Amino acid sequence: MSSMVRKGLGYLSLALMFVAIFMVFDWVPTEAEQGIAQRIFYFHVPCAWVAFAAFGIVALAGILYLWLGERMWDDLGYAAAEIGMVFCTLVLLTGSLWAKPIWGVWWTWDSRLTTTFILWLMYGGYLLLRSSADDSPQVARFAAVVGIVAALDVPVVIVSVRLWRTIHPAVLITKTGEHGLEDPRMVVALLVSLAAFTIFFVWLLTLRFAQLRARTRLHRMGQEIALAEMRAGDR
Amino acid sequence: MDHFTFLVAAYAAIFVVIFLYVLFVWRRQSALEAELREMEARLKELIESPRSDEELPSRHP
Amino acid sequence: MAAFAAILRKDLRLELRSGESTVALLAISLLILVVMVFALDASRARGAESAAGALWVALVFSGMLGATRALLAERDNNCIRGLLLSPIEPSTLYAAKLAAAFIFMAIAEIGSVILMVLFFNLNFDITLIRLAPILALGTLGFAALATLLAAISNRTRMGDLLLPILAVPIFVPALIAGVKASASALGGTPESAIAEWLKILIAFDVLFVTAGYLLFEYVVRED
Repeated sequence: MSSMVRKGLGYLSLALMFVAIFMVFDWVPTEAEQGIAQRIFYFHVPCAWVAFAAFGIVALAGILYLWLGERMWDDLGYAAAEIGMVFCTLVLLTGSLWAKPIWGVWWTWDSRLTTTFILWLMYGGYLLLRSSADDSPQVARFAAVVGIVAALDVPVVIVSVRLWRTIHPAVLITKTGEHGLEDPRMVVALLVSLAAFTIFFVWLLTLRFAQLRARTRLHRMGQEIALAEMRAGDR
Repeated sequence: MDHFTFLVAAYAAIFVVIFLYVLFVWRRQSALEAELREMEARLKELIESPRSDEELPSRHP
Repeated sequence: MAAFAAILRKDLRLELRSGESTVALLAISLLILVVMVFALDASRARGAESAAGALWVALVFSGMLGATRALLAERDNNCIRGLLLSPIEPSTLYAAKLAAAFIFMAIAEIGSVILMVLFFNLNFDITLIRLAPILALGTLGFAALATLLAAISNRTRMGDLLLPILAVPIFVPALIAGVKASASALGGTPESAIAEWLKILIAFDVLFVTAGYLLFEYVVRED
């Protein structure tokens, strides 16, 4: 992606972000049951969407890397995992700040919360693995394998956590994010912030991806220069 | 704390975390550019170094 | 198949001579159960639920050790390279290592079940038989996952410290299913209540045995 397009995306997401903020704080009607705290929803859901999309890309990039063996896919997976982790953290943070006024607790082992938290732990491990080994094709393969295995686990996690929770009902009435958004303005606000976050995600991902690509090439070049210097030293 | 505080806190958290991450990406960018400049300098030195057999170029001047 | 049997036989013979892994696994399981007895409120918590919980904590942490041990034997003297240079498929190597880890873990679990009955004041009766399929499935799943991930963590700077960080979150669904099913089995609930959990365990096992079998090649390959 050319830098012009990327710059355009950056400004577009920024502008949409401002529009979304305005909508959330001034335009959207207050939800009857939960009051003003429900407005966290408009940014909470897009964060979750971005996190899950990013983790999906990690798995896809892992498969493509193992299949085609091109370094590019590894860089894409790394960039996506990092950004996914940032947004997953945001989902947990905003979720917690939403849960406290509505449910009265900072955290409850509700099925969605638990699933998100487990994802956070899995990809935290993935990033820890990447940081605990030098940058090499070997680590790229390790990361691809862990990314694939983690993604395979997601459906099993969802099913088991749901079953776990229905058998042991929470003490609290766990209202989930589905309010039925009775006012059309609520839907519009959600769509605008979804668009803002999606474009922001694309911008961030392409930026970080380009950066990692550059780093990979630079390292390769550095090795070649070191080799050439050695040869020059031998002469 | 009333609900409005939580709302503001949630949005503040989002922007603080995103800002920190962008800052991190930006610093990586500067580090990368510095590395690139250093590499260019090494390359230049390598190209300009004398190629005759009797004069050994020093790797670390 | 012959290669699989040969590697497994070698590992088992090694274990019979030294007994290192199983003794270590048993010791760890014993200690975890002791810690759990002290950590849980003795007056209230001696029921089936906490016994099942303690048993699975022991399974996970001794399993971590078991998977590492099965691979560790190959890392010393760089035996793994020899194995990879031989015409053995990496997936066969994975299957053999998985089988070895499973056997070590199973032996340790028989020990921990006995200890669990003693420590948590349960009875030696027919309900223990009902634990067998649950534990077997859980152990297979954990061994499949941990064997694959141990081959990774083994060769990073963090070393074996990384294994629990990678393996435990991924193992969570099987852990939930295993603990719930074991508690029901010990508590004497009818089979039908356990069936749902067994399905999750089976799904987990199928998924991760297949994944490990197919992906192990990429983990051990050297370049």
